[in-house]
Amino acid sequence: MTGHKKKPTPQTPEATGTTRRSFLQTALAGGAFGTAYLSIGSNMFANASGPITIGHQAELTGGFSSWGYWHNKCATKAAEIINAGGGIAGRELRLATEDSESNPATGARKLRSLIQRNGANFVTGSVHSGVMLASIPVATELKTVYFSCGEATEATGSKASRYAFRTGNDTYTLSGAGAPWAYENLGKNWTMIFPDYAWGHSHHKEHKRVIEELGGKVNDPIAVPLDSRDLVPYLAKIPEETEVLFSVFFGALSVAFYTQAKNMGLGDKMKMYSVAGTIEAIAPADIDGAAEGVYFLENFPRPLAAKNDEFHKEFIKAMEIDDVNGREKGSDRVIAKSHAWQSWENLFLLKAAIEASGWKGKKDDKGVIEYLEGAKMDNSLAHPQGEKILRGKDHSGILDNYISQVRNGAFETIKRIPKEEIDAKLPPRFDFTKEAL
Amino acid sequence: MDLVFALAINGLIWGLIIALIALGLSIIFGLLDIINLAHGDFFMVGTVLAWFIVQSTDNFWLAFILVPIIGLLLGAVIQKLVIVPIKGAAALSIVATFGLSIILQETVRATFGPAPKRLLPPVEGTIPLFGIDYELYRLVAAVISIICLAAFFLFLHKAKLGTWMRAVRHDPETALALGIPVQRIYTITFAIGFGMAALGGVVAAPITTVDFRAGVDILPFCFIAVIIGGLGNLQGTAAAAVLLAFMEGVITAFADPVVARIASLLFMSAVLLVRPQGIFAGATS
Repeated sequence: MTGHKKKPTPQTPEATGTTRRSFLQTALAGGAFGTAYLSIGSNMFANASGPITIGHQAELTGGFSSWGYWHNKCATKAAEIINAGGGIAGRELRLATEDSESNPATGARKLRSLIQRNGANFVTGSVHSGVMLASIPVATELKTVYFSCGEATEATGSKASRYAFRTGNDTYTLSGAGAPWAYENLGKNWTMIFPDYAWGHSHHKEHKRVIEELGGKVNDPIAVPLDSRDLVPYLAKIPEETEVLFSVFFGALSVAFYTQAKNMGLGDKMKMYSVAGTIEAIAPADIDGAAEGVYFLENFPRPLAAKNDEFHKEFIKAMEIDDVNGREKGSDRVIAKSHAWQSWENLFLLKAAIEASGWKGKKDDKGVIEYLEGAKMDNSLAHPQGEKILRGKDHSGILDNYISQVRNGAFETIKRIPKEEIDAKLPPRFDFTKEAL
Repeated sequence: MDLVFALAINGLIWGLIIALIALGLSIIFGLLDIINLAHGDFFMVGTVLAWFIVQSTDNFWLAFILVPIIGLLLGAVIQKLVIVPIKGAAALSIVATFGLSIILQETVRATFGPAPKRLLPPVEGTIPLFGIDYELYRLVAAVISIICLAAFFLFLHKAKLGTWMRAVRHDPETALALGIPVQRIYTITFAIGFGMAALGGVVAAPITTVDFRAGVDILPFCFIAVIIGGLGNLQGTAAAAVLLAFMEGVITAFADPVVARIASLLFMSAVLLVRPQGIFAGATS
């Protein structure tokens, strides 16, 4: 109106470079791309009626984050493989991941978020015993299938429900699998040292029972607070007559334990036996010999040679790790192998359960649960840890275990303990199949 | 009885290392009124820096010299970036240093990695000590800590900079009127606090572990020592750290170590009720 040329503003076509013609061109191109994308999508997931969301509650930060990284990688890779193969029953698998921050209260809150906000139909859950025990009541309240990945036996025992499952070991199976061998081969007088929380106490309770049943002596337990840095006050209390020092720790407490026990010469005075959790995500070579000579019970041995088959090879390839120490290529991370496989296998197991039961939505959950109760898993790419069963009554995985020893800074497998032997020794103590859904 | 002596000596030695770290916390509070929730992470950064230097050079003693210097520099930068903007707001300092703590932890997690590592001690071997094989390096660490603590108090009382620091703490306005560069003293004090925590990290790393959460566990004990010794009371803090660790060591010989920590907390609560200014109030810094 003034006759002056108007200065372009961000809203004008001159400023944005958008004209009516260019807008139409963009819209048409976008429409064409969208149509193409949708048609590709509809081919890929032919029977699609929306994605199936599986929640993943993982320890991405906090004290368990060195494990959580691998749980996340396992779940992500497994979801990619499943989707590349056509998804689940022709529907896309959408993996929704939440970080528990390695904190039980946060973990329970994030599980609620996964189910209620992200619409997770099923959840593969935490490896942190505190988090999973805090989560099971939430999963039960929200009537959602939840897989624990940690070991506290209560998660498929006194604190469990019909919605709670676990494909991996618990302290009941770990004690039954490894303690008899350690009792026969390492010694009869045991002292147990463990972190002062659910997982540690659960190990003590179960191992004490096994050793005492076998006729051994178990000295007073030594529970170490999680925030301890100086372990000498605890290590000094180990009785001299101890033949086997059974330890369960994780992360920094593990390294502190092995370092300080080694420095005090305990490894020379007694045999040291532990479970894989104590050295998960840690390479023995990285702690300068502190774990040398220690015996471990693993369930997915680090060296390929201990379970040398094509599925293990494919898993190692997918995880981008070497086949001796489990170290990630291009980084110094070491896989938390005896636990993280559950985040991989649980997705494939859920796929099998959904497809076999004809699950379409929430109302069909009963079929999935009934499939899982007693599910058999073959040694395959879906289950690279090996053949296993998910027992119907107690919802617990029964699988092969392995006794290994750290020799020259690497794991050497000494003996395989077959799942049939473990199953025979450890009858179910709970029957969740009787619970109404 | 042997166990009592062994654990008492171990407590004493551990207390000396903790005193190094707690002193840094105390001078930062005493001069700047900053409740530094990131102080444990300064210790953790010290352990991680030591690990990197030892990995690169295979020389622990080089780490012992370089890490406190790097700590001083980092402390000066952090003081300018984080502390100056919230000067005079004690409540904000809690929020700001808590945020700083998260940033430091996550930065270390993202770079160093989440898996804990071990730093080999520069002196290996054990000596028999009241029935247990005691790690020789712990005795070396105790001697190092005593020398560092003595050097710090000597600096504080004999060096011009130390005198200025005490003057600014006593009366910043008069100190400014007398030409003391108060702002620079604030920066130097915070840097020294970081440097001492980092030094504690180097000394403690071969005993404990190197990991991104190391500071979370060490911080509560440092706070207990500072509270019992008297907020900002430097000699009191050092004495309280040693006294507490010694007391925990003795109690541990008779009871569960958890009971020993409960005793420390009860002691702190009693001090807060009866002598909220700290049991060593009256001692000057």
